Amino acid sequence: MARYGMVFDLRRCIGCNACVIGCKQENSLPDGMFFTRTLSEEYGVYPAVNRVYIPTLCNHCEDAPCEKVCPSGATYTRDDGIVMVDADKCIGCGSCAVACPYDQRSQVDKDLLSHGLFGTDELTPFEKDGYQRFVPGTITKCDFCSERVDAGLDPACVVTCPTDARIFGDLDDPASKASTLIRERDGKPPMPELKTRPKVYYVD
Amino acid sequence: MAMQETKIVGDSFQVGVRFQRYWDTSMAIAFFCGELGAGLFFVSFLFDFVPGMVTGMLITGVFKSYFHIAHMGVPMKSWRAILRPDRSWISRGLMAIVFYLGFGTVHVLNLSFDLETTLGLGTALGNLVQFLAAAAALVVMTYQGMAMSHSSAISLWNTALMPVSGLTYALTGGAVLTMVMGWNSLFAVTPEGLNNLATEVLLLLLVDAIVLASVVYSANNRSRGGQVSVSLLLSGIYRQPFLFLVVGTGLVLPALVLWLVPGNFIAALLAAATILAGYLTYRVLIFKAGVYEPMTSFRPSA
Repeated sequence: MARYGMVFDLRRCIGCNACVIGCKQENSLPDGMFFTRTLSEEYGVYPAVNRVYIPTLCNHCEDAPCEKVCPSGATYTRDDGIVMVDADKCIGCGSCAVACPYDQRSQVDKDLLSHGLFGTDELTPFEKDGYQRFVPGTITKCDFCSERVDAGLDPACVVTCPTDARIFGDLDDPASKASTLIRERDGKPPMPELKTRPKVYYVD
Repeated sequence: MAMQETKIVGDSFQVGVRFQRYWDTSMAIAFFCGELGAGLFFVSFLFDFVPGMVTGMLITGVFKSYFHIAHMGVPMKSWRAILRPDRSWISRGLMAIVFYLGFGTVHVLNLSFDLETTLGLGTALGNLVQFLAAAAALVVMTYQGMAMSHSSAISLWNTALMPVSGLTYALTGGAVLTMVMGWNSLFAVTPEGLNNLATEVLLLLLVDAIVLASVVYSANNRSRGGQVSVSLLLSGIYRQPFLFLVVGTGLVLPALVLWLVPGNFIAALLAAATILAGYLTYRVLIFKAGVYEPMTSFRPSA
């Protein structure tokens, strides 16, 4: 069984946020909800200033704090390592959201589903269809586009990235591009001091 | 990787500190009611004071439940919160509430109607029931702090002091409410008990102050996010409610009132009101000042 993970190549990311748009479209995310974000950080003193882009999403931790605190059993980890939320079991208590050190969970507020991305109360056919995947009141998050992964495809953010800054693959396969990058360029997980063992790595 | 600044970035796409926004005021009031109710039950339990025990169970059973359900995204499925006591403090806490209300009710009925004798059950069963009720009340006073302390990226919460503060505040609130409620009944026949309880409230206020200072100190020394939380409380947007309500009104004023005006019902009533106001404000502010640690910085080293 594969153990899926993702690598972000910080040398390649240009901060275009195409991944964010691709994710929103694939997952029909309502206004204000993001499963992935490209954070920016400026540093230095004028005129020697610079900016680095840091893509973020659910890190699908091996030792997921969100799963440990979930009182209803809604959060679980698939055999392939993807951390999922079963919306039918989720009670919307938010304990997973406050336990996630990476702030990578979103609450599906009822209001979010009542207005569309164009700022009107009328939903487009795309939104009407897409919003059906959400259960109001529950918590949701990135699932590495599990339906696409099950069909043998890469997540939407990965195929949308114009610079190949996102690399998805089997971390248990030493020949996969993701594993190779982590090995050869000393991939670092986010906030390793928390010992959550993320399956997302950064190389720079 | 280099040091980061600790700017609050809100919902923007920047590296920085973000507020926790999932547990709101409704949740804070639920925590307050849970701890206060269990504290009142526990202190009243020590005095066999039935009105206090009943009121405590009502505060927990009615108000805590209401505010939890008001917060819950899918209230109709709230029962599912009891399903994972093996890993979740929320599940454990919910089970403790069930035990506390269940055994507490039986204990109150036993005290009121002497069920042990009426039904011929013997004292051993009655002792077991009251022990379980008291133990469950202690769990209710602490489990919410346990749940908060598991938020590893919210430094203000991520401390073993969270359950301790829940326990000490609950006992303080419970003790002062027991004192006020039993003024003309329980303590009318045992005035020395009243003096002892007033002294205990004073001591508990001192412990609350020490625990509160320790929470602030540990957060400030733990991480950048902790420093942001502390600055929000001591010099930022929550400075006035924290210093005026939590510290001044909730700790200093009732201590002065109980110390300078002993044996006065109005003074005790004022002390109870100020303690509860400070306690509730503490619960709300701990939620509002909780921030996530900033994301790891990947800026190149100089």
